[in-house]
Parts: sequence; C-alpha cells; structure tokens
Amino acid sequence: MFHLGWFTNYMTPAWNKPWAGNAGRTWANGDFYLDMARQLDRAGFDFVMLEDSTALSDTYGGTFEAELRQMVRAPKHDPVPLVPLLAHVTRGLGVVATCSTSFYPPYLLARTMSTLDHLTNGRAGWNIVTSAGSAAAQNFGMEDLPPHDERYEIAEEFATLVEQLWDSWEPDALRVDHDTDTYVDHEKVHRIDFRGKHFASRGPLNTLPGPQGRPVMLQAGGSPVGRAFAARHADAVVAIPKGIEAMRAYREDMSRLAVEAGRDPEAVKVFYIVSPIVAETHEEALARRDRLYGLESERLERRLLLMSGGDLDLSRFPLDEPLPAIAAASTNGSQSILQTFLDRAQGKTLREAAVGDQTESLELVGTPDAVAGEMAEVMAEVGGDGFLVYSGSGQLTRRYITEICDGLVPELQRRGLTRTEYASPLLRDNLLAF
Amino acid sequence: MFHLGWFCNFSNPPWASPWSSTEGADWPTGEAHVEFARSLERACFDYVMLEDSSMVSDAFEGSSRVDLKYGLYAPKHDPMILAPALTDATRNIGIIATCSTTFYPPWLLARRFQTLDHLSHGRIGWNMVTSSEDRAAQNYGMDTLPEHDLRYEVAGEFVEVARQLWDSWEPDALVMDPETGTYVDHTKVHTIDFEGRFHRSRGPLNMVASPQRHPVLCQAGGSPAGRDFAARYADTLLSAETHSVEAMKAFRDDIRARMVAYGRDPDELTIMFITQPVLAETVERAEAKKQRMLAGIDARIESSLGHISALTENDLSQFGLDEEFGDLTTNGHRSTLADFMRAGRTPREAALGWSMKNVTFVGTPDSVAAQMGEVMAEVGGDGFLITGSITRRFVDEITEGLVPALQRRGLTRSAYSGGTLRDTLREF
Repeated sequence: MFHLGWFTNYMTPAWNKPWAGNAGRTWANGDFYLDMARQLDRAGFDFVMLEDSTALSDTYGGTFEAELRQMVRAPKHDPVPLVPLLAHVTRGLGVVATCSTSFYPPYLLARTMSTLDHLTNGRAGWNIVTSAGSAAAQNFGMEDLPPHDERYEIAEEFATLVEQLWDSWEPDALRVDHDTDTYVDHEKVHRIDFRGKHFASRGPLNTLPGPQGRPVMLQAGGSPVGRAFAARHADAVVAIPKGIEAMRAYREDMSRLAVEAGRDPEAVKVFYIVSPIVAETHEEALARRDRLYGLESERLERRLLLMSGGDLDLSRFPLDEPLPAIAAASTNGSQSILQTFLDRAQGKTLREAAVGDQTESLELVGTPDAVAGEMAEVMAEVGGDGFLVYSGSGQLTRRYITEICDGLVPELQRRGLTRTEYASPLLRDNLLAF
Repeated sequence: MFHLGWFCNFSNPPWASPWSSTEGADWPTGEAHVEFARSLERACFDYVMLEDSSMVSDAFEGSSRVDLKYGLYAPKHDPMILAPALTDATRNIGIIATCSTTFYPPWLLARRFQTLDHLSHGRIGWNMVTSSEDRAAQNYGMDTLPEHDLRYEVAGEFVEVARQLWDSWEPDALVMDPETGTYVDHTKVHTIDFEGRFHRSRGPLNMVASPQRHPVLCQAGGSPAGRDFAARYADTLLSAETHSVEAMKAFRDDIRARMVAYGRDPDELTIMFITQPVLAETVERAEAKKQRMLAGIDARIESSLGHISALTENDLSQFGLDEEFGDLTTNGHRSTLADFMRAGRTPREAALGWSMKNVTFVGTPDSVAAQMGEVMAEVGGDGFLITGSITRRFVDEITEGLVPALQRRGLTRSAYSGGTLRDTLREF
C-alpha cells in the first residue's frame, strides 16, 4: 500500500477556467477548502498540506503586475486559522499548515501547533519552511533573508527548541485530582532553559500536551542541507525528483540520511508531487492535458513567475535564447526547485524550457484505471511511500478534486493500494501504518 | 440600551466545582467553548473576549506548584486557534482574541487577523496587550520585558504598522476581469515601506481586503499610558474601574476627553465595565451564595494569592497571611496591583477583597437587571463585560436568567442587525 496527500494553499483557486464556478470571489470565506477537506477525508487521504508564503512578490519584472494578474503566489491567506475548521468537518484527515522558521518566534509556533493538535484531536501537522525571497524578509523588518545554508542552521535550532517545548510537559502531568485538589502535577512540568546561537527560551510551554505529543512535522527542502534537516526532524518529506530513477534515488538518500541521524528510515515517509489528469478515455485525457498546458502565452509567464520565486528575475532574459549559466546555489531562494529547472533548460531556449515544465515527479494522464495501474508500478519500483496530489498552479476546481476523489482513488482502493478507512485517529499513526 | 460582552480565556474551566462535569480534562478540544459561544449568541452578546498570557508562573514561592495545582494562569491555549472554531459555530456574535505587541511580528499578526476577518465574515477583533510578565518575555528569548511605558510606545508603532498593512489593498483591488485575464488590479495594491524606531515592514499584505478591513481593536490597560493608547486606537475598551459608580463615570469621562484630544468622536469607543453577577431565585439565596463563594476563596487562599502573584510578579508567599505587606510595585499589571492593595492590607484581606471585586451585583435576575440599568444610566454607557467561572450552570444563569430580564426592560438587544462586529458595537 502507499499513502496519499494533497498539496494546496489557502489562495485563489482557478477563476477564469471551465468549472471554476464562483470560487474566485468566494474562496476567502473558507467554504471551498472545507468542501475539499470533506472529499479528501472520504477518499482516505493521509493529510492535506497547506503551503504558504509571506510576500507579494515583485521579483518578476520589478512590479506586482504579473503576479496579481496571474496569481501565482498571491493573494494567499494565513493557513493556520483554516486548520481547526478543516479538522472540524473531517474524521481522519490530517491537516498540515506551513510556518516559517525565519519569521515565527519559536514559543509562539510551539504553542499554536500544540493548541491545533488539541482542536484537531491529534491530526495537526507543521510543514517546516525557511522561506525564500527578500520581499518576505522585508515584510518582517529584515533587509534580506539569511543565506540559504544559514537559514537551515537557524531552522535546526528552531526545530530543536520547539521539540523541547512540546516535551516540557510529561504526558501524565494532568491529574484533575479532587482528593488532593490538584489540577496539574507541577513536578511533571519542566523548564527547558534553551540558549542557542539564534534563539533562547526558558519554558515550559503553557499548554497541555496534545494527543500526538509533538505535531507531525513535514519538510520539503530538496537541497543537501534541506534533506539532512528532514532526516533529523521530519515525519514526512515532500519531493519533486523527475522520473522513476530520481525518485528511487531520493528515497534511498533519505533512508541513508535517516540512519545517519539515528532514526528508522521507515519513520521518514517520502511523498512525490504529481498532478494526475484523468478522463473517461485516454484520448480525452490527452486532449485535456493539451488544453491545460496548451495556452502558451499564459503558461509561459506563469512558469517564469514561479521560477522567479526567490531573487532571480527571469523576465530579464530573452525568451528565444538559451539561458546564460546561472548557479542555483548562487541564489537565495528555493535552490533545488530552481536547479531542476536550470538542468531542464540546458540546450533549450528559455521559452522551450518554461513551456514544457511542470511541478511534478512524473506525468500521469489517462483513465482512472490506467493511471491507478501506473501509480502502482511506479511505487513498486521506487520503494515508497506515497504521492502528493497537486492540481497544478491556477488549475484547482471542485471538478478536479472530484475527479481524483471519486474517479482515481476508488480505482486505487479496488486494487488495495490505498486505505479505505483510517486505522487511527492520530495523523502520525496513519503515516506510520504502512 | 447598553452592550454586553463576556471576558474569558481558552483555559481550563473550573474543574473542582460541583458543576464542572468532565470539562477539566476535555476543554482543549474547544467544544465546550463552542457551546458557550452559542449560548452567548442566543442572548445577543456583542462579543466574547479571549484573554491570553504566555507563561507558567513561578512568582509564588518561586515554584510553579500553586499555578499548576489549581490551574490558575496555566494551562492556557492559543486563542487565535479557538477564534475560527467559535466564529464557525455562530453567525452574529463577535470574537475578540488577545495578542501581544511585545511578542508578535506585526506582519504575521496583521495577516492572521485579516484572515480571521474573512473567515468570520467581519466579526473578529484584536485585544491589544503589551504583556506584563518577565516570565513570558523569557519564553520569547528576552531577559526581561521592556519598561511599562516603553511597551506602549512599541505598541503604538506596532498598531500603526498593522493599520497601514490592512490598508495596503484598496477595497476594490479584486477585479476578476476575464477579458484581460486580470485577477487583481496591481495599481490598487501598495507597499507601505514603514520604517519606525521599533518596527519595519515593506508590505503590502499578500491578501484581499476583508469585510471590516481593520479588525475591531480592543484594549484593557487602565494606566495613563494604557488609557491614552485606547483613546487613540480602540473601538472597545474593558475597564476594571468598577469599585464605585463615580469611578466608572470618571473613567469614562477621562477616556472620552482623551479621544476628543486625539480628534476622535467619543462614540466610536464602547467602554465595557467588568462585572460578575451573583444570581439566585431570591435575594437572600443570592447573598448566601456570595458568602459561600467567600468561604470557598478563604479555604483556598493560596490559590488567590498565587493568582495575584502571577499577575504582578510579586511573591505574596513571603508575607504571613495576616501580616501587613506595605507598598508593592510592578512592571506588569499596574492597575491590577493597585486594586489589590486597595482591597486590603494583609494578604488574606486583600485576596478576599480582590477575588470578589467584580461581584458588584447580587440578587435575583430581575433585581440585578434593575440595578445594572440604574448604574448604566448614571455612568452614561456603554456596557458590561460579564466574567466568572464558565460552568454551563453559571452561563445559564446569565443567558437564561439575567439577560431575559434585561431584555424585558429594554436594556439590552433582543436581536442582531446583521452587520460586522464594528457595526454591532456602534448600533447604539
């Protein structure tokens, strides 16, 4: 069996596409996402992950114009307040929110996540990011972000601190003992007296330990330091290696790093991003793909905007010439995503590289039955652990969600490949169930 | 007519009372608070305010024993997470959550409130606090809190940043024009480029403007710096200046005069006086109930002393229970400490007086409703903020006893008019 997760963000779904409905105007009230969560819960997804970023970017072309017309990264609302609402309308679905170690005070984050773990009855998760782009840093009063590898050094200290805060109450500290008039046994609640290079905190946390103790931790950084960080802290990682070989290599690398970090490799699950396109016939699915990806003018700009997420402005380069040599490591954004794109762009013009690009590990196009079969084969070759379904940028509609949940997933379930019911009320248990 | 609000926090309800049920252990799911908010909405309260703090206190005896044994200051969970659960379960009542200007990054806070304003259809408020304990500061990596009045300077700048961020998208920036393929008109979205002494932020927010644009701003500080801050920014203000009708009136007059000095219309601020009614079928039974409350406080006197020690970071265990303690000072809740010292000269006397200080109305629902009406008529406005241990039984006494009596007298609202929280506050 393998796992399913869903990648989204609390932002504008498709608005000027077929089947977009009125979502473009009404999404901010949360209802669209509540309906999505109900569907995913019914289909037995492990979790929905709410990506986040904290700036309106003007890297591309030096203005907000293209960003706001295309809405590649904005408007995007705070995912944290959405979590208790999604949990409230579901039974087993985990709800994972993204928060940045570059901008949150650690104590605030530890407390917020602990509160969420209670309100979700043990289904809360934190997707750990270090953020990208100077615009985000400037919203928070910094000139620029710390350099990429230093951000991970800060994240390491941050994660260690919040883990200590979550552990600062022993699981049985709550007594509610009327005979001795004792609510909490103070001998089971401990200071942490953390003093690091970047953070300090006395502790303890002022929340009761949540059902999971520590909320589930997700991580998506694919750079060498990002992977090493994930191996030490994450319960699951999100990855976009291109093709089966690269996927298998990623899984093997995570296993090796987990062992080096003294952890069971089975305790770090790898989820590969895919955007399945399913239809009644193979031809119709192919036609759908071509319609989705065919609008070159729109698609080209969207990809270039996406790849300009850090501080590299791709609007500066001629579209019909090969990109000059750029080292992803010289930028201060999402290095592994950019590197993958630059690798692809080798020997192509910028236009060719951008138009054919997709944020997914492999293309899955066909009938539900055929795609389910392909997913089974891929997962058998890769060796685990699951897929993270993503509608693709600007493509999210209710119909897409339904096609996955009512078309593809039942095929997977018939084959015994994905769960039909939740074995545990806790997200971490479900992640580790197989 | 006057307004009604309720003061509480996302922490354990009373766990050792005869009416606690199993909530002592169950409350962290938020379900009891959801029921509570529904009850208050049935009674047409303007809002429920969720207080907050960020520490386990060891002010008393230098140990967390008393704080945790009785569940006083801690545990206390993040009210910003409870807020959407409460607005989701209701349609009209406002939800005000507390966040500290000393600990939050302004951009994060501005965005979280604007998100909550969308999710609540315009029913969210922010209770602005500057925090009051070094122990909380130490959880956030500082050695001590900034000095009291400096905290208000930092807070003033914080609110300026937040307000500019809330205004960074014009209300009509969302155009959704299929002809030009334009979702948002970028000429209506602006950087703020705020450069202050304590805070900097480039902006804009990455969000569409919400129904209220600015959440309702609430404040509770009673010190001169706190009053000034409220007069400049607040839509609603909580006051513990309730020891006499004269004090209430003087407080209200002072705030309104300060507002005029800042060029604001005084009617833009709703002042809510904190009170804990004690209700029973007869006046005699209500008086007896008050005496039982006093006896209960005396029997657990270290609980009250632990509470006031935590609030003011003064260790009251250092004095004998019946020994005079002289003058105390704090960098935290100054007006709270003043109330405590006014309540008595020994720890026992002061603890009993302070614990009962909000008990200003005792009687039947009808007699208390009449008294509340009289007091409010003398003070001039604007409403009462109910507080007290939230057992379902106490909540019922208010929502099924007192409020209907108030409504029969035409003193409080019997229906909502359906606008945003700010509309509700300004309706009368």
